[in-house]
Amino acid sequence: MINNRIKEHPIIAGFDKGPEVKFTYDGREAAGFEGEPIAAALRALGVMTHRYTVGSGEPRGIFCAIGRCTDCVMVVDGVPNVRTCMTPLRAGMDVRTQAGLAAKTPTPFEGLDPETGAFLSAEAVSDEAI
Amino acid sequence: MKRYEVIVIGAGPAGLSAACAAAEAGLETVVFDENARPGGQLFKQIHKFFGSREHQARVRGVRIGENLLKRADELGVKTVLGATVLGVYEQKEVAVRTEGEVRSYRGDAIVIATGASENMLTFDGWTLPGVIGAGAAQTLMNMHGVRPGARVLMVGSGNVGLVVSFQLLQAGCEVPIVVDAAPRIGGYGVHASKLARAGVEFRTSHTVVKAIGAGRVEGAVIAEVDGSFAPIPGTEETIDVDTICIAVGLSPMSQLADNAGCEMEYDSAKGGYVPTLNDEGLSSVPGIYCAGDMAGIEEASSAMIQGSIAGAAIARDLGYLTPDEFGERAERWRRSLDGIRSGMFAPGMKGRTDITNTDEGYPLSASLLARGFLDGADDGIFPSMIYSGGMRPIIECTQNIPCDPCQDACPRGCIVVGEDITDLPRLDIGKKCTGCALCVGACSGQAIFLIDDSLGDGYGTVGLPYEFLPLPSPGDPGKALGRDGEVVCDASVVEVRDSKAMDKTPMLVMKVPVSALGRARFFRPAENKNYA
Ligand SMILES: Cc1cc2nc3c(=O)[nH]c(=O)nc-3n(C[C@H](O)[C@H](O)[C@H](O)COP(=O)(O)OP(=O)(O)OC[C@H]3O[C@@H](n4cnc5c(N)ncnc54)[C@H](O)[C@@H]3O)c2cc1C
Ligand code: FES
Repeated sequence: MINNRIKEHPIIAGFDKGPEVKFTYDGREAAGFEGEPIAAALRALGVMTHRYTVGSGEPRGIFCAIGRCTDCVMVVDGVPNVRTCMTPLRAGMDVRTQAGLAAKTPTPFEGLDPETGAFLSAEAVSDEAI
Repeated sequence: MKRYEVIVIGAGPAGLSAACAAAEAGLETVVFDENARPGGQLFKQIHKFFGSREHQARVRGVRIGENLLKRADELGVKTVLGATVLGVYEQKEVAVRTEGEVRSYRGDAIVIATGASENMLTFDGWTLPGVIGAGAAQTLMNMHGVRPGARVLMVGSGNVGLVVSFQLLQAGCEVPIVVDAAPRIGGYGVHASKLARAGVEFRTSHTVVKAIGAGRVEGAVIAEVDGSFAPIPGTEETIDVDTICIAVGLSPMSQLADNAGCEMEYDSAKGGYVPTLNDEGLSSVPGIYCAGDMAGIEEASSAMIQGSIAGAAIARDLGYLTPDEFGERAERWRRSLDGIRSGMFAPGMKGRTDITNTDEGYPLSASLLARGFLDGADDGIFPSMIYSGGMRPIIECTQNIPCDPCQDACPRGCIVVGEDITDLPRLDIGKKCTGCALCVGACSGQAIFLIDDSLGDGYGTVGLPYEFLPLPSPGDPGKALGRDGEVVCDASVVEVRDSKAMDKTPMLVMKVPVSALGRARFFRPAENKNYA
């Protein structure tokens, strides 16, 4: 399982986090910490793609992490265009990769293989899906 | 419409300082910030700041932020978070959006302190997931404890690129290469040296031309550039990284000032369009003051002083401070501002490449500027680098930057900077160094090493700043690395010295042959324990 979390840091004593909570990422169960940005929880799991652009279906992921670029928007609890770098994670959230402006999530998308924890390749994203 | 005496836009170091100065004089002050947390850039800066004691030198940015917040709190400054200011209109009316609701407020005076935005660089594949801004890297790793990637190409060697590269190493990422299109490293030599000795390679006159990968960054192509920054065909090289981090400068976020009708000017030394201000930060619109990065890209230290001056000037305008009271404060602050704005990296020096000597007349190290490390040609030139036997500090600080904590740190007076804080440190070899290591922990540039040739049997020790985990233990074997990150010889850890005063910059003491004392500057443990 990819784990990008910093366990021990030479300078930072600890990171301000809530309790561990479960949420779903593209329908699969995932875990993160309450109150951290959804985008941070996803990057910790190795997720890179947050959305696919409207026309050409190009992947986009975290770019600014401060709410400016909108590259990280996803469909959260059915609402599209949610900036995941600014939106705190809550227990039970339903987070889905956004395709164009659709609230509907086509699967399979790039993300983690639930069995191996490895990346599903981007080729798994078909054109029709977008 | 709710009215405040002072409305401050932005709760970064500039805005909070303005609010404190105004509130201290008794003004009712509110600060709006669009972020969920106050402090602006400060809470991402986990490194020790430069400057003098009055600028809180050798204090880490996060701590400076905490101090500032505490002070604002004590002074009764009201801070509204998650509040985006949409516009500043006539009669000093400010439109603020909070949770989908827009409200207007009126201020007797306004301070705009909105900071800066990151410059972008477009290249083939730049939109791929895995290409991130330096600010995003800092936000993820320093605020949220998440590594942005495993292997990172850093694009840009200004202080931001250098500091963020070091922070990436501290977070457990690899940074194989830093590229910069300019022929010189843009940031402080001491920041670059910390990276070079840890094995980071600098490629000046190089840029990133392509991000490669299907669906995410799986590599990067870099290339050499010519005098007009165009990539030279045939020099492309593919490097194995999963993240490309862009640190190519900041631009003032001055839109609100423009929108408020302030007279604007383009100033490349300030980083772009900025309001025209007087020396108190007053714009062309009465009652509208500006401070910090939005008025010209500088530092948190200068942003705080500019903010303080603006806040106090408002207190004077509104009758809460007499002109004399204001004048007294302003003079102290201006002196402090002049100090931090001096040296060869000062705002007015931006883009200057014609400086070849230090103020003292020593030739600048060409190797340091091009490759990030001092080389043999520099030994023997800088007096603070000349070793005279016994326990001694060696200070590899060779550029005029405004910084002097080393002279305060030494209880014996071995280190002298003098009145002018941009002067290079000198060693008073008449004073006896006890090897207390306080200077090693105090140097924000991590440029002080304690050398001792008296271990016996042809061995000596090198004490070096070591801000990494896992912290080696006495007896651990490893390699001593040179300033260029290459292996010099075998080494073993003798001692790791840490104390509260060193504030998380422990001194690692390694044993090496006396012949290597002049070259061994970093320690790589034999067993590279994994972070993950
Ligand atoms: C990697 C790095 C290393 C650095 N190292 C140092 C160092 O060693 N020493 C040093 O002195 N400085 C350092 N700096 C520089 C320092 O962080 C900045 O110069 C400083 O933060 C500028 O302060 P500011 O208050 O002007 O802006 P900021 O800190 O950017 O704060 C601006 C605030 O305004 C808010 N804002 C913007 N627009 C709006 C709006 N419309 N409505 C509401 N709020 C808004 C933002 O959310 C933000 O909180 C470093 C910077 C970086 C990136
Ligand atoms: S990453 Fe830019 S808005 Fe979220």
